[in-house]
Parts: sequence; structure tokens; C-alpha cells
Amino acid sequence: MTATAGRPGPPLSVLLCDDNAMLLEVLSEVVQAQPDLEVVGTACNGEQALRLAYRRQPDLVVLDVRFPGGGPSVAREIAQCSPGSRIVAFSAYDDKGSIEQMKNAGVFEYVLKGASNRELFAALRRAAATR
Amino acid sequence: MTQESTRKQAAPMSEAAFTLLVQGVLDYGIFMLDPQGHIISWNAGAERIKGYRAEDIVGQHFSVFYPPEDQASGKPQWELETAVAEGRLEDEGWRVRKDGSRFWANVVITALWDEKGVLRGFGKVTRDMSERRAAQHALSERRRLFDHLVQAQETERRRIAWDVHDDSIQAMVAVAMRLELLADRVPESYTAELHRLDASVREAIDRLRSLTFRLHPPGIDRHGLIEGLASHLADVVGSSWGMAYTFEHQLDREPSPETAITIFRIAQEALLNVHKHARGSRVDVRVASADGGIVTRVVDDGTGEPMPQDGARDHFGVIEMRERAETAGGWWSMHSRPGTGTTVEFWLPNPRPVPATTPEPAKDAP
Repeated sequence: MTATAGRPGPPLSVLLCDDNAMLLEVLSEVVQAQPDLEVVGTACNGEQALRLAYRRQPDLVVLDVRFPGGGPSVAREIAQCSPGSRIVAFSAYDDKGSIEQMKNAGVFEYVLKGASNRELFAALRRAAATR
Repeated sequence: MTQESTRKQAAPMSEAAFTLLVQGVLDYGIFMLDPQGHIISWNAGAERIKGYRAEDIVGQHFSVFYPPEDQASGKPQWELETAVAEGRLEDEGWRVRKDGSRFWANVVITALWDEKGVLRGFGKVTRDMSERRAAQHALSERRRLFDHLVQAQETERRRIAWDVHDDSIQAMVAVAMRLELLADRVPESYTAELHRLDASVREAIDRLRSLTFRLHPPGIDRHGLIEGLASHLADVVGSSWGMAYTFEHQLDREPSPETAITIFRIAQEALLNVHKHARGSRVDVRVASADGGIVTRVVDDGTGEPMPQDGARDHFGVIEMRERAETAGGWWSMHSRPGTGTTVEFWLPNPRPVPATTPEPAKDAP
């Protein structure tokens, strides 16, 4: 089994946002398999993401960069409607411009799609640790 | 030559000789109008350009040379009045031959006064500029076609890059994530194999990502040539290939998007060649305005061995670079000497945007 952070207490709630249904499904499974992480919602567009972020106030949000509604602007709006959430960008793009845009929008970590699951979990835990 | 003959040559030309000279000129239509605009003399050039023999045209009003729309708007009369008021009028526009076909003319009308200040008529010189105009047209057509070609190519590349990103990469990411998840769940004897599988999928993802980057480098259409090249050098040449580089630029103005993309694409290919073949440790890129265009130089410090021409892809790269430059109306060259590295150098014109052209006349103009 994958090593967990050994974090005591209730699992971290995670909202997953990606417009690719296949990826959203597997992401959901992979994250859910971690004892210290709990998926509390999945969104495939900006509107859904904001509604769920507002309602669930998740600890963590995994957000696609090329997301309907615009990754950076959705990130800013989530930060407003759920100030306690830490956003981790999950992107197929590794160019400086995309990374800077997301960092400027307030995301805590930037994980490239194609990185290992472990790297994604590590980024999620690092982001959560800043809360 | 005797003094006598020299003197003869220097003597002023008789009026008869001058008339003969004018009548014989073929490249220019030279003729005279009376003060009302009727034709009173004709020369060989006018006959050649306009198609009328002297006996057909002398005595007629010069407005017959103008297209009907110009006749209707009173342009011929207005031109004479302007020549009277200002001494001279120059115009470029459509004129009509005897057979009704049109030609693009440069016309100069000069008012002629006698010593008492009485208007005696007008001198009119007409040149047929159709060929020059057609050449200019062909040039701007070619430019338009080139711009269109570059845009079409970039649009298609962008579309492919987006598809690869939004579909292929995502699907493979999903596969890789699931493989890693599975590796944690299966008996240990399968784990190693699943990890190997996972690793190859992730490597394929990396390759696809760098393919999309090459297909459509982010930044070039948003930030222009210099920034596009600078980030390509930083992200790809510096970060990914770990190669030292310098980048110098000196442009007096930003090139058109099509020129920018063409320069970027050729430089990108030249840099890829350096990475793959030069076995060098550094590359110097310089972009500068020169001769009404932009000259770009990519110089490496590699072995200077001639690039292998047998690999189809590499050969294609060289052809593509040269074709891109030549289609844009420029030149491209590559020279290398063993021990001193390779230089790829190319120049592209940097034309200002094509202005709107004069509409063509109706085919069956009178």
C-alpha cells in the first residue's frame, strides 16, 4: 500500500476539478484510495467547481489549468468563496507562462499531469500543511 | 573627331529634328492637346500604347482615353484645369485603349503658354505602367499567399497540439494513474512489471508533451518573436537540453506575425539540429534588422561535422528550413567547418502590412 503521511485526525477533504471525465474518474479513485484523503466532490466546469467549493469548503482543491471558465480565474474565485481551501494545479502544460499564471492566481502547488500519483499526494499534503 | 564636326554636334537641334525625335519615341506616348483638350499631335509611342493611328485620333477630345466612370465624373476636364492652375498634373490610373481594353497609365499633363502668357494647349506624356503594376500585384499576392500559408499551418499545428493535450495526454495520464494504483493492489510478483509499464506510459506522456510544445510553443503569438525565442531558449535549450546559450537581438520594429513565426520555426529547427548533431556545449543566437528585413544567426561550438543527410527526418529539417525562408522571399544558408562549429544563417524580408489595392476594372470596359 502507498505510504500515507501518518497524519492523525479526520481525512483531508478534496474537491477534484477536471473537464476530462475519464481523468476525473481515475483521479477520484486514486485519491479516494488514500486513507488520509477523502473526495468530497468532482466538478467538470467552473460553475460546478465554485458551487461545490462554496458548499463543501474543502481542505484541498485539485484544479485543471485549462479548465472551462479558465483555470486561473476559477482559482481566484474558489479562494474567495472558500478561503480555507488550498488549491493544487494539475496541468498538462509545463510552460513558464501557465505556471506563473496559476501561481499568481494563488495556487499552492503545481503538479504536471504525468507525474506519479505519489508526487500528486505529496503536493496535496504539502499544500494542506500550510493551513 | 574634327573641331568642325564637334561644333556641328553641339549645335541646337532644329525644330524638325526635335519633332522627328519625339515622333519616334516608342516607350512614351507624347502628344499635344489644344486649349480645349483636342488632340493635335501624335507619336509612335502613343500609337503603340493606345492603339490609335494618328489619322484616327487627331482632332478628337482626349477624354476618349478615360474610362466611362472618369468621363462621367468630369476627370479629364478637371485634370486640364489643374494643369492650368498648377502648371502640371501627374496622375496614375486606368486608361482605355482603342480596342476598349484598359491599361494602367502614368500621365503627366503640362500646360503650354506662349510668350504673351496665352494658353496654347497642353503637352501630354503617357507611360504604360501595366507590367510594373502587375509585378507589384504579383509580389503582394505572393506575400498574401505566404501569410495565409503560415497562418493556415500554425492554425493546424495549434489544433493538433490542443487535441494531443486535451485528449491523448489526458487519456494516457489516466492510464498511468490507474497502473500505479493497480501496482499497489496486486501481488508483489506483478508489481515490478506494472511499474515498468507505468514508467513507459509516463515517458510517452513526456514525449507527447514535448511534441505539443514544438507544435505550438506557448508565448509566440501572445508576446512576439523576441519573447517567444527567449522562452524557447530558456525552457528548451537551457532547461531541457542543459546547453549554454546567448541571445542577442536588435530589431528596429516588431515583425509581422507571419514573419515572426517563420523566423521562430527556422530557429527552432536549427536549434534542434544543434542539440541532436553538433555535440557542442553552447549556441549563440542573434536576431537583427538588416537590409530591410531580419537576419538570424544560430552558431554552435560543436564539431562542425556535416549534418548527417541520410536520416529522412534530418534531411527534411534542412529542406524545411530552406523552403520556409525562400517561401517568405528570403534566403537561408548553413555552413560548417570541422572544429569550428556550424552556422545557420537566414534573412527574411520584413514587409509592412500589405495596403489595400485598387479594385480591378470590369473586364468588358468600353
